[in-house]
Amino acid sequence: MSLFAREGLENRELIHDNDKCVGCGICADTCPTEALRLGPIVPIARGLLKMDYISCNKNECVLCGLCASSCPFGALTLKIDGEEISQLKDYPNWHNDAKINEEDCLFCGRCVEACPRDTIFFKRDLPDRNDLLVGEISINDEDCIYCRICSELCPASAITVTSNNEFGIPDTIEVDDSKCVYCKVCKAACPENAITAICSTCMHNEEIEKPQITGTVFIEGKCIDCGWCKSVCPADAIEVNKPFIGEILRDPELVCKGETCHACKDVCPCNAVEIIDNESHMDPEHCNLCGSCAKACPQNLLTIKRESMELDNIKSTSWQDILGKLVE
Amino acid sequence: MAIQIDVDKCGHIENCPGEGLCIKLCEQGALVEDNGDVKIIPENCDDCDLCLQNCPNQAISKV
Repeated sequence: MSLFAREGLENRELIHDNDKCVGCGICADTCPTEALRLGPIVPIARGLLKMDYISCNKNECVLCGLCASSCPFGALTLKIDGEEISQLKDYPNWHNDAKINEEDCLFCGRCVEACPRDTIFFKRDLPDRNDLLVGEISINDEDCIYCRICSELCPASAITVTSNNEFGIPDTIEVDDSKCVYCKVCKAACPENAITAICSTCMHNEEIEKPQITGTVFIEGKCIDCGWCKSVCPADAIEVNKPFIGEILRDPELVCKGETCHACKDVCPCNAVEIIDNESHMDPEHCNLCGSCAKACPQNLLTIKRESMELDNIKSTSWQDILGKLVE
Repeated sequence: MAIQIDVDKCGHIENCPGEGLCIKLCEQGALVEDNGDVKIIPENCDDCDLCLQNCPNQAISKV
């Protein structure tokens, strides 16, 4: 959504993508004119209020682009004459990212299940089941009494019994060869011994080639580098470069309200918060140090202490001062 | 510490931008709807301050 645009010597436009936004408020903290405001992130995250995480006061915004440069998740974009500043050589660049190496990927799909942002595109091509099996099956029409016992028991749903007469009485049976796995349950259950089934898969075991599972997998735009995909990947095929290195400190003097509150857990975009023994616990492996939890905590229990960040090419001294505060 | 609602600032559900957001946020049942208004049940309050922090009218405070 376009937050604000102004035409002058240059045409500038600030765009916010709420799908990419995590509600961390880094942009609002960075804004030199206090034009950007972070909304009530807890009710928004809980679905109680339908609004974007941030709002922009058009009278205050000077379209400087600091907010866009400060956002590690690409949720804010400043365009100058149609070009995004992140692509311009004079503006800062983030280098945090997550990549899946398709050559090492087993196409198991675990990363897709683990991703809290549903941002992994995944498609795999499975081999033809019949290429992995050798066998035969046939049903003798003359002996079959169309009792449906075989079709009800068939674990592969390969047998269909239908009626082709005006009375609706079953009179036709069909086996779908592409579904049958020659398990012979049908044969064992048939009260009329009407089914012939032979499985010779074991006999041909050495001739059956192990199939190569192929597919396409990549991480789309809403990724926030939480690292869940990497930690569940059994093939070590994923690299995650987090935006910040650091830690979350908690004030030992203050009391976490745990299950009563769980605001931190609700706003965490990384699924990195668990309430254990009525106290919140942040999992550093999956935290990206965005700071949403600290913003959400009504007890002000948490402090984000960032030591380094993946943002560079900050050319102006004033921008260095402002963006440098992210890691102070 | 008990919470209190400033009746002049409170939207009384009807005029609250969150249509009684404090009630929806409080999972302890310390803020409940009563005849179209917000009622405090002090004994249920766990002092989590979620209501204070998120009241759109900043009508909730502690005494």
